[in-house]
Amino acid sequence: MKIRKSALFVAAAVILCLVLVMTIAGCTPEDKNVLKIGMVGPLTGGTAEYGIKALRGIEIAVEEANASGELGEITLKVISEDTEGDWSKAANAFTKLIDVDKVDVIVGAVLSSETEAGAPIVKDSKMPTISPTSTAEDLTKDNPYLFRNCLTDKVQVELLVDYAVEELGLGKFAILYVNNDYGVSLKDSFEAKAKKMAEVVAVESFEDKTVAFQDRLDKIKRKDPDCIFIGGYYEEAAKIAQQAKERDLDVQILGADGLTNEALIEIGEEAVEGTYATSGFFPDEPTPEVQNFVTVYKEKHDEIPDMFAAQAYDAARIVIETIKNQGVTLEDIENGTASALIREGIAATKDFPGISGKTSLDEEGEAIKNAFILKVEGGKFILAKSPVDN
Amino acid sequence: MIGPYYLQLLILIGINTIMATSLNLILGYTGQLSIGHAAFMSLGAYGSALVTLHFGFPFLPSLLCGALLAALFGVIIGLPTLRLKGDYLAIATLGLGEIVRIVFLNLEITGGAVGLRGIPKKTTLLWVVLAVLFTVFILNRIIRSRIGRAFIAIREDETAADSMGINSTYYKTLCFGVGAFFAGLGGGLLAHYMRYLHPNSFGFMRSIEHLCMVVLGGLGNMWGAFIGATILTVTPELLRTVADLRLLIYGAVLVLMMRVRPQGLLGQPLRNGIPLLGRFFQQARPKL
Amino acid sequence: MLIQQLINGLILGSTYALIALGYTMVYGIIELINFAHGEIYMCGAFVGLILVTVAKVPFIPAFLLAMAAGALLGITVEYLAYRPLRQSSRLAALISAIGASIFLSNLALLIMGAKPYTFPSPIESKVYKNSFFVISRVEIIVLVSSVLLMIALTFFVQKTKIGKAMRATAQDRDTASLMGININRIITITFAIGSALGAAAGVMVGVYFRTVTPTMGLMPGLKGFVAAVIGGIGNIPGAMFGGIALGIAEVMGAAYISSQYRDAVAFALLIIVLLFKPAGLLGTNAQEKV
Repeated sequence: MKIRKSALFVAAAVILCLVLVMTIAGCTPEDKNVLKIGMVGPLTGGTAEYGIKALRGIEIAVEEANASGELGEITLKVISEDTEGDWSKAANAFTKLIDVDKVDVIVGAVLSSETEAGAPIVKDSKMPTISPTSTAEDLTKDNPYLFRNCLTDKVQVELLVDYAVEELGLGKFAILYVNNDYGVSLKDSFEAKAKKMAEVVAVESFEDKTVAFQDRLDKIKRKDPDCIFIGGYYEEAAKIAQQAKERDLDVQILGADGLTNEALIEIGEEAVEGTYATSGFFPDEPTPEVQNFVTVYKEKHDEIPDMFAAQAYDAARIVIETIKNQGVTLEDIENGTASALIREGIAATKDFPGISGKTSLDEEGEAIKNAFILKVEGGKFILAKSPVDN
Repeated sequence: MIGPYYLQLLILIGINTIMATSLNLILGYTGQLSIGHAAFMSLGAYGSALVTLHFGFPFLPSLLCGALLAALFGVIIGLPTLRLKGDYLAIATLGLGEIVRIVFLNLEITGGAVGLRGIPKKTTLLWVVLAVLFTVFILNRIIRSRIGRAFIAIREDETAADSMGINSTYYKTLCFGVGAFFAGLGGGLLAHYMRYLHPNSFGFMRSIEHLCMVVLGGLGNMWGAFIGATILTVTPELLRTVADLRLLIYGAVLVLMMRVRPQGLLGQPLRNGIPLLGRFFQQARPKL
Repeated sequence: MLIQQLINGLILGSTYALIALGYTMVYGIIELINFAHGEIYMCGAFVGLILVTVAKVPFIPAFLLAMAAGALLGITVEYLAYRPLRQSSRLAALISAIGASIFLSNLALLIMGAKPYTFPSPIESKVYKNSFFVISRVEIIVLVSSVLLMIALTFFVQKTKIGKAMRATAQDRDTASLMGININRIITITFAIGSALGAAAGVMVGVYFRTVTPTMGLMPGLKGFVAAVIGGIGNIPGAMFGGIALGIAEVMGAAYISSQYRDAVAFALLIIVLLFKPAGLLGTNAQEKV
């Protein structure tokens, strides 16, 4: 077929322009004293909330470090790349940070699917990466460059089940979980432990962003449970609590760290009173580090930080501590050996005093942490059980 | 040598070109409003990945298996929806695309909500280039043959084509099967490049992206599909700095393009100076 | 439990029905799938929310204002994205609709941010129980309001002059214009009413579920569309029927088959209806003229 020659010309010109722009855009002048921390996460789209909060946590840590001068001549810079919550775009983000922005370490990604997509990339490029929030099982296995400092589902769930059976005297569990990697992982762990210690009478699932739970709750009601474990986030949990009460399913509500956000109480009001949930972070913890973080975050962003921000802050702090401990110098940044040193340091993290709890990393890069158990009482979260020391 | 980031971009351009040209066959040449194309991609992706992981097939046979699985579904989907025209077909393909996504999200073998990890990396730029050339070559041959002419006839006026003895049922099914085959090929290449799969990337938005690539370049225009794929793969990367405005711009551009240049950047192909896309893309309703 | 689930389905279905009405009215008159309808629904919810929380407007006026806002948005979208393409192909109009939808939802994301907003409850929560089922006051209000709106619409379309003009335009646009009907005006009115209903659905869902987010229009939009097709697109009683049918089918499917494939049930139902009765369950088969 004959295409108009002019059209072909136009097309070729367009492509050429694009290529030129790309190459020019890639040429940024190298800052000599700067150690670049890359961040990968959803900054736009339906899951933007989580990425934005994580970024805020990292930025606060970096600002503090730069202001205090604890890293001597080195200045930290955060370069963030958006994934829109899509793992295939996350792969692009990771590659761009490594290849074009030439970062020295990455804090990310946020969603488990994003980190999964990035895992082989960071392994091949030998880029130390620590995820503050990706909880998928075995994520860091066989990957010496991937770490995470978030509370694992298994740990918090086992703690919760123990508490529920022993302290709260519950015995007939119903599980309602969100059908994504977070919810599925929680459900699996909870079901396994609950079956060992007591009885699981009902298991139902729901899709992300569901608003109507009535029919699932009616199904659960038939099985006569004495509590419902919600394997999901606060938005849906609040509604589940409300609709359960309406449906005459007035039973104890249990949850994991996804519930521990002020918005749970905002949306749920009286319906969520008495809810117990595990958390890696308790904003009312009276230690100076926690209070300092909460104050700074509140001033900047007009809301109380949640675990996304807190764990991201800790991840950045782990990186900062590593830079100090490993004695990373400006020469290291220049000749690119900083990354290897940082990797060593992160891997050796032991008893790091994070605001989201004492954290150690094991040989697989998994976090060893303990959880709080919080309770909603009088319209706010209070401490029900402190983490047990290792 | 090209840096890994640009290499990745080129590979993605290649894969998207395969997606756009295969959709072009269904949409541009045969006039079937299919907006569930990403489902074929995911079938090919998961199909080839699972074959690699569970049976240890080498690369090419894996790709082939994925593509054949997609083609099979193309035929399965094509047959019953054949009676549907225009908007109804669009909705049906949309629905089917969502069903595929939801099923994959819940099946254990595909990894469900956690996704499928550990796929070995086998796709290289060379493979992608070869695949693109293969796709374009085969599709071009088909279009220039009797089959291609039948497709165009169906697109222009299905009833007339039927009365001329062209078995529209057969040809429509064929176009879905072939289009799905190549979409599956693209999916398989993606799977062995990303090394991880999750169903949420193969939903409605991805199908819309493919649709826009075809329309942007120009329906029924092979080069157009390539241009469209390139522009829509590269531009989001370029616009990273204004990431939160990106989708906004995307939507506005779609609306504006349809107003200003609905035939796409490259317009309609001509043969001997006569536009090849007759009634289909011109007027919807003849004036009184 | 069966009755309880039926009630659940009925209420869910009535929200779908309201959304479906907007789609069906627009399709009936200009044969276009208004993809941006889900965003109008979302906008209605947000306008209602802002009026009630920030401007402290009492609920019923806020509800009506939200409907008006939806109507206005609908008219604007029609004017900017659809009217210029009236002489173009179906595909171009479809793509323009998709573009409008993407634009609007991202605009909302930009302005409002991704976090969920809580809709304050306008009335005291109360639950009515009997031995067969449980229903809350809010649910009753949702159901009753939907039914009232649908009755009002049917009356309008069947008994008023404008309604007659709308039906005429839907039947045969060119002849209607020859009869002296101002087509542009009728189309604008149709969009206004359809969008107002969509916005109403948005506010009701916001009140019922207490949350409003910029992406809330996506799934309900798709499902409302599916409902319209199931009932027979272009057919007003069909949209109502389709909405209720879809709501009940979805809840029943989740309750008795599997809750994981719940969304798939909606689409599967769509495919089945399209295969066996493409004009929809209440639609009439229009023969294609050669």
